[in-house]
Amino acid sequence: MNITRDTLLAAIDRITAAMERDFEMLNAADGALGDGDLGVTMARGMRAITQMKEELPEDIGMALLQCAQAFTKTSGSSYGTLMATGLMSAAKTLRGAQVIEPASIPELIAGARDKMQARGKAELGGKTVLDSLDYIVRATADGDDKARAAAQAVDKALDDFRDKPATVGRARIFGDKSIGLDDPGMLAMQSIIKAATGS
Amino acid sequence: MKKILNNPEDYVDEMLAGLTAAHPEYYKLHGEGGKVVLRAEPGQNGKVGIVTGGGSGHLPVFTGYVGKGLLDACAIGDVFSSPSAEQMADAIRAADSGAGVLRLYGNYGGDVMNFDMAGDLVEFDDITCSTVLLADDVASAPPQEAEKRRGVAGMVYAFKIAGAAAEEGRDLDGVTAVAQKAADACRSIGAALSPCTVPQAGKPTFEIADEDMEMGMGIHGEPGVWRGKLQTADQIAGEMMDRLLADMPVAAGDRVSVMVNSLGATPPEELYILYRVVKARLEEAGATIVKPLVGRYATSMEMTGVSFTLCKLDDELETLLNAPCDCAFWSVR
Repeated sequence: MNITRDTLLAAIDRITAAMERDFEMLNAADGALGDGDLGVTMARGMRAITQMKEELPEDIGMALLQCAQAFTKTSGSSYGTLMATGLMSAAKTLRGAQVIEPASIPELIAGARDKMQARGKAELGGKTVLDSLDYIVRATADGDDKARAAAQAVDKALDDFRDKPATVGRARIFGDKSIGLDDPGMLAMQSIIKAATGS
Repeated sequence: MKKILNNPEDYVDEMLAGLTAAHPEYYKLHGEGGKVVLRAEPGQNGKVGIVTGGGSGHLPVFTGYVGKGLLDACAIGDVFSSPSAEQMADAIRAADSGAGVLRLYGNYGGDVMNFDMAGDLVEFDDITCSTVLLADDVASAPPQEAEKRRGVAGMVYAFKIAGAAAEEGRDLDGVTAVAQKAADACRSIGAALSPCTVPQAGKPTFEIADEDMEMGMGIHGEPGVWRGKLQTADQIAGEMMDRLLADMPVAAGDRVSVMVNSLGATPPEELYILYRVVKARLEEAGATIVKPLVGRYATSMEMTGVSFTLCKLDDELETLLNAPCDCAFWSVR
């Protein structure tokens, strides 16, 4: 099923609701390894998108650009900037298009992953949101049910990395203490993908 | 903490309101929330725009150097924190008159990430950007990792030289190249005697005993290379020059500009005491000093301390450094 402006608006509602629901959980997970404002960052960004969603254009690329800008306007925090970076990568590819075709999803997510990696100067395997995205790219490469594959991929990424130490970002300072703890950025991506895909 | 304040939350907004009210001939506020400062009289059409940005608390850096022959726009964040990518994009859009925009700022993680992001945003408006980062503080990384160094007072030289090149009508590649040359020609080091207090935090950013000092301190209280007993002015200046000259040797016949900069609280008298040693050391090496700058150019709130910057000149850099410029804090005529 192609993703259009209408399906995007519906996904925005579900993601916004998920961020309000997970507000405390994300702050607490971030507080264990960082500065504890990830729930704030995500809720603020999604509230800003919800406020202007009726004005989003039919051009799906330009619509994603405006979603990215909602994050850059509401947050100077690194996760907000990374979210915006990923959205803008897709926005650039989709500029002028009215739909997102399912077949293009792995490529769009891979593009976002690479741009976010370049911006955040992190490596794959470091137990960050990049690893979640990388799992999604691989899980959606083949097969028809991309939504289901993506939802399973974010779970698997968390399971696979839980008992590894973080090697990048602020969580790295905690070293072995991060073993057994879920990465906050990966948790946020799990909530986003599950809400976006309605799983 | 003893500061002249209203609500600490309003510190930056009130500072910008006062700055633009005092100097309407130089500055005007722009953008959502008014956190972008523009030249009151924009540069001529077709001139390459130069923007900078960073946290508040360093006046005259960054905002103060918006002016003719200097910067076109500055995005200013809260005290010691990066402006948002959106504010930086506003500054870039305002500075563009069709010839592209140079982003010229200090090497700090948040600023880099947000300025890169701002560049992506303005690509949708078909604005071309280039980047030059100042990484002049020799205390922050060894020479083999020079690209990791933080940017400090050397920014002032880069603003001046790039601003003059843009005013001359050079294109984006030309302005970027000479800005990079200026950035590469600068080396700085700081020494701190007391901390500073961020208004919203209300307590000092670090602690240092009355009888101690720190060598190599950054402009946000980042650690230096050593902490020990407070030395005499000549010892402090001697060690700072040793470290600068070890990193960028100066030979007979070289022409060098020097800045002896107060980090906020150190008075001009003490800067001049230090300048004697700076001058003697450079002359001992056979170098000629061009346009010495002694005063408050890049500060860190009320931190007591000083930074030295050397900028080694060639003919091109010297000509651009001597070209006219005008802002509320520094004019060359």
